[in-house]
Parts: sequence; C-alpha cells; structure tokens
Amino acid sequence: MPEGRYFFPNAARFVPAHASAASGRRLRVEDDIGTLLAEVPARAVRVSARLARLTRRFDLPDGGIFECDDNDAADALLRALGKRRRGGFTDRLERAWPVVALSLFVTLTTGAFFVVQVIPAVAEWLAKETLPAVAHTMSEQTLRALDFGALKPTRLKPADRARATKLFATVAAHARGGSGAYRLVFRAGGELGPNAFALPDGTIVMTDDLWPLIRNDQEIEGVFAHEMSHVDHAHGLQRVYEASLFPAALAIFTGDVSQISQMGAILPGIIAQSAYSRRFEQQADDDAAATLRRMGGKPSHMADLLERLDKRMCAGKTCPPSWIGDHPNTIERAARLRAEDRGALIDLCSGDWRARLALNCLGLTR
Amino acid sequence: MNALARAPDTLGTATTHAVAFRGRGGEYFRIWIVNVALTVVTLGVYSAWAKVRTQRYFYGNTFVAGHSFEYHARAWRILVGRAIALVLFTGYSLSVVVYPWSFSVWVLVLAAAFPWLVNSSIRFNARNTSWRNVRFNFSGRYFEAFIAYVVWSAAALAMFPLIPYTRRVHDYFYINHHSFGGRAFRTEFPASRIYVIYLVGFMVVVGVLVAGLGAAAGLADLATRMPGLARSVQVPIGPGDFSAIFISLIGLGFAFVAAFVTTMVTNLSLSSTTFAGGHRLVSRAAPIRVAWIVLSNTVLTLLTLGLFYPFARIRLARYRMGKCALIARGDLDDFTSEALTQQSAIGQEIAGFFDFSFGL
Repeated sequence: MPEGRYFFPNAARFVPAHASAASGRRLRVEDDIGTLLAEVPARAVRVSARLARLTRRFDLPDGGIFECDDNDAADALLRALGKRRRGGFTDRLERAWPVVALSLFVTLTTGAFFVVQVIPAVAEWLAKETLPAVAHTMSEQTLRALDFGALKPTRLKPADRARATKLFATVAAHARGGSGAYRLVFRAGGELGPNAFALPDGTIVMTDDLWPLIRNDQEIEGVFAHEMSHVDHAHGLQRVYEASLFPAALAIFTGDVSQISQMGAILPGIIAQSAYSRRFEQQADDDAAATLRRMGGKPSHMADLLERLDKRMCAGKTCPPSWIGDHPNTIERAARLRAEDRGALIDLCSGDWRARLALNCLGLTR
Repeated sequence: MNALARAPDTLGTATTHAVAFRGRGGEYFRIWIVNVALTVVTLGVYSAWAKVRTQRYFYGNTFVAGHSFEYHARAWRILVGRAIALVLFTGYSLSVVVYPWSFSVWVLVLAAAFPWLVNSSIRFNARNTSWRNVRFNFSGRYFEAFIAYVVWSAAALAMFPLIPYTRRVHDYFYINHHSFGGRAFRTEFPASRIYVIYLVGFMVVVGVLVAGLGAAAGLADLATRMPGLARSVQVPIGPGDFSAIFISLIGLGFAFVAAFVTTMVTNLSLSSTTFAGGHRLVSRAAPIRVAWIVLSNTVLTLLTLGLFYPFARIRLARYRMGKCALIARGDLDDFTSEALTQQSAIGQEIAGFFDFSFGL
C-alpha cells in the first residue's frame, strides 16, 4: 500500500496519506487514521510516467493529487487497479544497460555519419543550388569587407598585371568553367602576405606579395588553376553552409538549441571546418594538377612554389605539420603534386600517420 | 551562505528554505542517451517526448521546502508546436535563399510577432510548472512585451550604454508578470546596481583580451623557437593553427564573461524579488564559480565528443540551484491554484527554432 501525500483540490495544503485499490477498480485515498479523503474510478485518474526517482503523481479528477515517492509501490497499485497505461515503458528502457549501450552506439554512429557524410553532402547540394545572384552578392560583400580591413589597392606595375591577366585567361580556357567564369582581381595583401583566394562568384584575388615569388609561369598558372577549382566546386559556399549546419546538427543531438549555441559557436565549428577545408584544398590541388597537365605543363612547378612560400612564412625552417590549420601540410601537398607529374598517385604511405590519413593513401601502391 | 546550508533556519517568523537539486549525472546520462537515440531513430518525432522527460527530470529534482517542482506539458502539444515552427522556419530559410530581399519582410514580421512569441513561450512554461499542486502563471500582455523586447532592445542595439538598463527592463517584465497561485512576484532594484555589474564585466573583458593576446603570443613564440620540440612531443600545431586557437580562446573568454555577468544579474534580480507579500527569494551563486563551471563544462563536453553534456547540465544545475533559497514569512499552505486554460506550445517552439529563449 503506497504511502504518500494527499493534496486537497488545487491547494498547497496536504496531509500524509496512503492509497489502495478498492473494489470496482476504484482508487481510494485515506489519511493515517483511515479517514476517507477521496475515492474515484481508476480510469479517471491520470498518472505521471515513471522517471528515475521522481515522485509519482496521481491526478484526481477534482484537482486533488495523491503523490508517492515509492515508484515500485505505485506500479503495484496501478496493476491492482487494472490500469493499462502505467507510463513505465520508457523508464524500463532507461534503466536497462543493454538499451543504454545500444543508444550510445546508435548516437555515436549516426553522429559520425552526420559529420562525415550528411553535412558535407547537404552543404554541397545547397552550394550547387545557390543562385548565382546570391553568390555574387555574397562575394561582393566579402570583398568589400576585406577592402575595408585587410586589403589595400594594388601597387603592382601595369605590365605585370597585364601578364598575370594573360596567363589567367589561358588557364581559364583550360579550366572546367571555361573563359568568362572567372575574374582576376589585384590587391595589396597587407598582413595576408603572399596569397590568393577565390570568392563564390568566380572572383579570384591575388595579392601583390605573391608575384615576386614566381620564378616560372607554370607556378602562377598552378595557383590560378587551384583557385578556379575552388570556384568550380563552390568550396567557399560549402564552407559557409557546413559552418551553419554543424551547430544545427549538434542541437538535434543534444536536444536543445539554446544551451548548445554558445558552445556550438566556438570550437567544433573551427575544427570540423578545418578538416573539411583540408579536403577542399586537396581537391583543388588535384584539379589544378589535371588542368596543368591538360595545358602541357608540370604540376611539380606548383610544388616548388608551395615550398618557397613555406620557407618564407616559416623563416627558413620546415613548418611543423598542421592539425587544425586551413591548408594541409605543405610537404604532403608538394609530394602529392610531384606525384601528379607522373600522372598517378604513388605510395606515400611511408609518411607520418597524419599524412596517411590526409592522403587517403592507405593501400595505394605504385 | 552558511545560513543556506543550515535550512530550514528560523529567524523570528521567517524560515529559510534552501533549494536543493537532487539530480545525478549518471542517471540523467541514461535518460539523455536514450532520448537522443530515440529521437534519431524516429527522425525527430520523439524530440517532443524527450523534451518533456528532460524538463520533468530537472523540475522534479529541484526541491524547495521538501517538495519538488513539476512540469506538466503534454508532449503532443510540443510536437504540434515544433511541426508548425519547422514549416515556418523552412519557409523562411528557402525564401531568404531564393529571394534575398524577403529577409527584410521577415524581419518586420518577426518584430511584429515577437511580443507574442515572448509572452506565449513564457506563459507556456509558467502554466505547466507547479509546486505543491499549485500552478505558476504569467500575465505579460502584447503591448508590454512590445515595449520591453522590441522598443527597448532596439534602443539598446542603437546605444550600447542602454544595454544594462534594457536588461533590467527584461528582468522586470519576466519576474513581475509571474505569479504563483494568483499571487504576484515583484522585483525592484536600482539601475545603478546593474550598471556596476556590467562595468565589472567590461573590465573582465579587457582583462581576458589582454590575457588571451598574451597567451597566443606566448604560444606562437614558443612554437617558432622550438618547432623541433613541437614535433618531437607530437603536438600537432602549426603556425597556421594560431589564428584558430586565438579565436577559440577569445570565444571561451567571452563565454566566461557572459556567464559571469549573467550570474551577477540573476543574483541581483532574484534576490530583490518578493512575492505574495512577505516571502523573499535569494540567489547567491558566485559568478566566478558559475563561469568556471560553464567553461570547464564546455571544454569537457568537446573533449568527450558531447558525452559529458548530461553531466555538465547536472553539475551546473546543482550549483546554481543549491545557491538559491526561499525565505518564507509564515507558512506555505495557503496557496491555491487559479483556474487556468491550457496553452499551445506553438509560440514557444517557434521561438526555439529562432534560438530565442526568455528568462533569467
């Protein structure tokens, strides 16, 4: 017989009480000395679902409540009352360790599946479906923001610019989008140093500092081809979409939006995004190598430029491998590009484990 | 603070009832993981039931004067609210992508609907909460919410020095329209106190920025001097990572300050709250402690791929609730529920989709 408390209808006032099953499937609530407090048909009683050690509540039709801290006794009473929906099913799941283990497995695998497969696929689809006008507006706004901060007007000589534009047009003719899909823009990079980047609408920005580092036309052609690949695959848009899908997925998994937004905004976005962008860089390198070969050139020239850039940025030493950085380690990239000279990927799996992971080269042989 | 631990403590006719949170991390972990798995398996439909179980667990483990709170919302109401919110949110997202100009239309619609969203989501929560068989209620009206959440918020966006004052407007709106058993809560405190809190927060921001810059510079310096060291101990950090680390540090710094300021403001507005004449609320959470809990929770949750999340929530709730108390003058038996109609969850769920949450 479950011991508990009886609350008078809609009131905070209560007395210690116990409940029992009376004949005719009626719930009977009495106080300590046996005074009848309530007697109602069991089907008119609403019982709260069992949950952990929470007090079980029997809502009586008149607004009174019988509540009891002993869940097992409450369940026994409900069985005695012949109540079918006792609200104990989910609680049994939550208390069964095999179910908890299975849930953990389901959650982790679907979570991994989301991060590795679903988010990139959805982002790719969204990027493909984005209207050119929207991409154009976004690109214009980005460039305007950069012009306001990091970038300054170019100081490159008109002759150099003319030559770069001519090389750019040659590469564009061999790239996937064809002439007219891309536009070269010059800027002084400031803190960005020697750099080139692509905006979603086909605008490719080259900073002045990059130009003096070029020793061979094919080097800058490689850079252009690399950036054009970013445009072809809408990598920039994909990054934007991935960054916004990631917190959304987190919210789904934790089941609440508000708590997660602070944390979703900070770290995982950066880490996951970098892992994704590493993939983009590799794709762009591969495409650039293909474009260069189509033009009769050698991808290894781009590797030379990468190593020169690396030396310059890391003051004469080899830069340590980057884990969360934007671009894959230069050594890996250069090796990959050199391999492209021979027209195929060779076995690069002798490198460290990060290189192996990055190159997906496990099992690849000469 | 010792007075809270020794509850109930009788001071004349006033009795201090410390709030106790009895949730356990391991227990909530099992509820949470089953919730997540069922939500995934049912393609999100179960999320409404998951929300109810989560809310019930936290309310039902929060005890004042020996009795826990209860959460009464029906899952199907939340499900209907979520379905409508999802349709609206999809419409919003698609139309903004296809017709960028429609964004401004949505902003206007949202501004007009916002007071309603605020009221209905707070009211849904209040009416579905009870303690000792007596329900809470919220009585905010559209016009009042419009002034507080649209006019004042816009003013604060335009003039930053108005932010603390607007915070007080919001807290007044939230607390002063709540009632329990038909008897109103009332908070009142001078604006100068909230300005002092924000001033302290501002100084902490400056401190965090300086410390963050110093840490980033130190790390960068260390790595450029000893790239060999970074390699030999397999620290996978390259120069390109420093901007990411720096951004993360700044993000964490701001989360720290936000928790710090929020705690102080919550302490202030709750501790200034009286209700039904004689009863008073007290909140004495140490802002540094809360900020530390929030920060370490975030880091641990990330390191465990999210598995620490349920423990994190319990840990925060235990500390924050444990620092609250009710100082009752006279007994608590006289309360009776008002007759209340049931509320739809639509407003609350729409607000949830746009990531708005209202409260302290």
